[in-house]
Amino acid sequence: MKIDLRLTINGRGARFEVDPDERLVDTLREKAGLTGTKKGCGIGECGACSLMLNAKLVPSCLVLAASADGAEIVTVEGLASGDGLSDLQQAFVDEGAVQCGYCTPGMLLAGEYLLSRYQRPTSDQIREGISGNLCRCTGYTKIVSAIRKTARRRAIRRSGR
Amino acid sequence: MRVVGKRVRRLDAEDKVTGRMVYPSDRVIDGMLWVEVVRAAHPNARILSVDTAEAQASEGVVRVLTARDVPGLNAFGIQIQDMPVLCHDRVRYMGDAVALVGAETRSIARRAAALVRVEYEVLEPLTDPEKAMLPGAVALHPNGNIMHQGHFSKGDVEIGFKKSSVVIEGFYQVPMIDHAFLETEAGVSYYGEDGQLTIESCGQYVFRDQTQIARALGLELDQVRVTAPYVGGAFGGKDEITVQIHLALMTYHTRRPAKMVAGRDESIVAHTKRHPTRMWYKTGASKSGKLLAVQARFVADTGAYASLGGPVLNLMMEHAAGPYLVPNVKIDGYAVYTNNGFSSAFRGFGCTQACVAIESQMDRMAHKLGRDPLAFRQANVLQQGDLAALGYEMKLAVGAEATVKSARRGKLWKSRRRLAKDTSHHSPSLASYIKRGVGVATQMQGVGLGIGIPDYAEVELRLDRDGRLTVYAGTNEFGQGAYTAYAQMAAERLGVPMDKLGVVGADTAVTPDSGTTTASRTTYAVGNAILMAADKIEALKAEASEPGDISARATFHLPTQDVELGDGLPHLLYSYGTHVALVEVNTLTGEIEVVAVEAHLDGGRVIFRTGFEGQSEGGVAQGIGYALFEEVMLDQGRFLNTNFNTYILPSSLDVPADIRTVPVQVLEASGPYGAKGISETCMVGVTPAILNALQDAIGVRFTRLPVKAEDVLVALEEGRHED
Repeated sequence: MKIDLRLTINGRGARFEVDPDERLVDTLREKAGLTGTKKGCGIGECGACSLMLNAKLVPSCLVLAASADGAEIVTVEGLASGDGLSDLQQAFVDEGAVQCGYCTPGMLLAGEYLLSRYQRPTSDQIREGISGNLCRCTGYTKIVSAIRKTARRRAIRRSGR
Repeated sequence: MRVVGKRVRRLDAEDKVTGRMVYPSDRVIDGMLWVEVVRAAHPNARILSVDTAEAQASEGVVRVLTARDVPGLNAFGIQIQDMPVLCHDRVRYMGDAVALVGAETRSIARRAAALVRVEYEVLEPLTDPEKAMLPGAVALHPNGNIMHQGHFSKGDVEIGFKKSSVVIEGFYQVPMIDHAFLETEAGVSYYGEDGQLTIESCGQYVFRDQTQIARALGLELDQVRVTAPYVGGAFGGKDEITVQIHLALMTYHTRRPAKMVAGRDESIVAHTKRHPTRMWYKTGASKSGKLLAVQARFVADTGAYASLGGPVLNLMMEHAAGPYLVPNVKIDGYAVYTNNGFSSAFRGFGCTQACVAIESQMDRMAHKLGRDPLAFRQANVLQQGDLAALGYEMKLAVGAEATVKSARRGKLWKSRRRLAKDTSHHSPSLASYIKRGVGVATQMQGVGLGIGIPDYAEVELRLDRDGRLTVYAGTNEFGQGAYTAYAQMAAERLGVPMDKLGVVGADTAVTPDSGTTTASRTTYAVGNAILMAADKIEALKAEASEPGDISARATFHLPTQDVELGDGLPHLLYSYGTHVALVEVNTLTGEIEVVAVEAHLDGGRVIFRTGFEGQSEGGVAQGIGYALFEEVMLDQGRFLNTNFNTYILPSSLDVPADIRTVPVQVLEASGPYGAKGISETCMVGVTPAILNALQDAIGVRFTRLPVKAEDVLVALEEGRHED
């Protein structure tokens, strides 16, 4: 039995036929061609598959694709603005927050989500906010600093208006 | 210098933050089959029969393959080919592959894999390496269970102990741990337009993978192409063959593209691990604080197959006495076959285990002698020209003392007394239960493969007429930042701006053979070859009458020692490091927090500053994992914790915000711009520094990893204080 699934992915409508037990991460990676969302454990522990589902951060390996019908989804491919990088992406590049890069998409989504909750997050809030995203390469130091610097820049921009 | 040593942007960062980077697990090819592996149901068993009929008859299944479908040598292994591609008569660990299923979708392949019927005669698993090495134990391989052993001595340890005023004996046990790269083993295979059987995968040395694949399939080397430029982490765990031969086999038999991605459970069960090791140490020092004798005995559980277990044991023995001058040494090591998974390369490569033991011993001796632990180390470190523990001369620059001195000048060490007493961030009622301590460890780490193993790097440089410079190197980029360092060295030497630089990596059809991406060797080896090729480019440019594309190749052969003591034994070139760790223990709950770490690393000249720091910070996280969190647990050869809910990795809450990396740049005359490599040194000393800090904090000497909260509570309860 196939189920009809409608999603809005990074602002664009898309339709899929999915199996009842299909996970959202697999729909994106295998049917939508959006392989920026990674898969590291399949049980919601590593955060590599994190994405924004209706403005909430979720591990997409734990989401049944069919249950997301009608949802708005943002993946790493939807973060760049126009043809440039987003400020957070740029901060990851500038700070050296990327090594093997397999955790990076999930980290960026976790970073965006925590920046949507805290305008000026403390270092502890940042560490808490990305604690569901495992990284085996970086020791997290430069990831935390990329998020902190982005928060500061956004706060300055807001106060400037 | 213009580019070398600077905080340039990683070449691959933009592709990685946009999701554009295509990793092996991301590849999709029209018409590809999904391949699933049928793995052993028992850790030690004879295979009586394999029945694939039901699986083969399932709808959507294209082909089921067994041992009889392996056209060439049904065995692989970097050093000894003792591991079957597909087992036919025997399984020796839970990850052994018995059959492959190729199907139209992954779920069909999975369901069909469960339908392959394998009849076993179950045998008692060998799970204790000390029992497995006894005469009369059931042999897992034709030459018995002692896969490799080594025995070294210098001077006379008995005399050394007699002269010593402090003699310390210790027994240390370190666990099996998993590399836990975020991208599991993955790849695709297909026949390329040129008819080459092409495998895009995740290995650490595409040229050796090409050999292993061709040998198993009975093909010529040029019939097989292997690529693996960008990989989601490796740390030694993708050095041995993982998916490559299985993929190639499926495409060979079906003529269709194929894809494999290991599940996390499968990854933990099937791929190599860090050797669980038992270490017996006896060390002695004089009243004046001079090391007089080191005796060590290692039993490393290498598991079911050899892989690189031999060289790992060799490096463990080579580094058994740390970076110290010791007149009397006796070292005995055994790597033993068992049915406990299989162990091979992992960041540090045997030095990691030995460092835990020797650096604990060093602290215990310093403590007994009433000496400052760093001063004690400094008084004993090797200098250039000294004889190392195994008796060969340290011919190149030795940075051990420089890292110790740097640590002694560091903030953490200088303020250790104040920091150890500082509990003001806790409420007064809790503060009295909080204990803090500072610990150190000094380490050296062989760079390159060592004598006896071919070790060279060939590269090609191409300078286009529009000024674009491309480095062709056969090594992989799995996070370490080496491609960026290559580009920096080429840019520096030829005066080309960084935005004109590109690197093409790891493709047997396109790049030269630059050797393995292991052993902290690529910056040094590939860097030297780049500088040699750059000189040729300069010469060609000078000769050229009109502007055009210029290319040049060069091969750098790593210099070696003039004595050979075993495979890869010894090294000529070493990196050095001293780590200082501040830990905090909650004596009510047993919780341990690593508060700060300082890494004083000598990898010679730093080429890529951001990458250098990033490696160090990641090394700190892995060192914390080894000390406090990680252990692959087995019961009678069966894996108990095979995903990240039970195999616990350090998260952002477990790694300190305060990590400081201090480059101690003792320039290496034979290195490119004076560089060596630090990708292992940066991790290895972290674990014993934490153990020594725990001793400083609560007076308990932990000798078994990982140290968990319950271990702390039990030790405190039992009053197990070290005097």
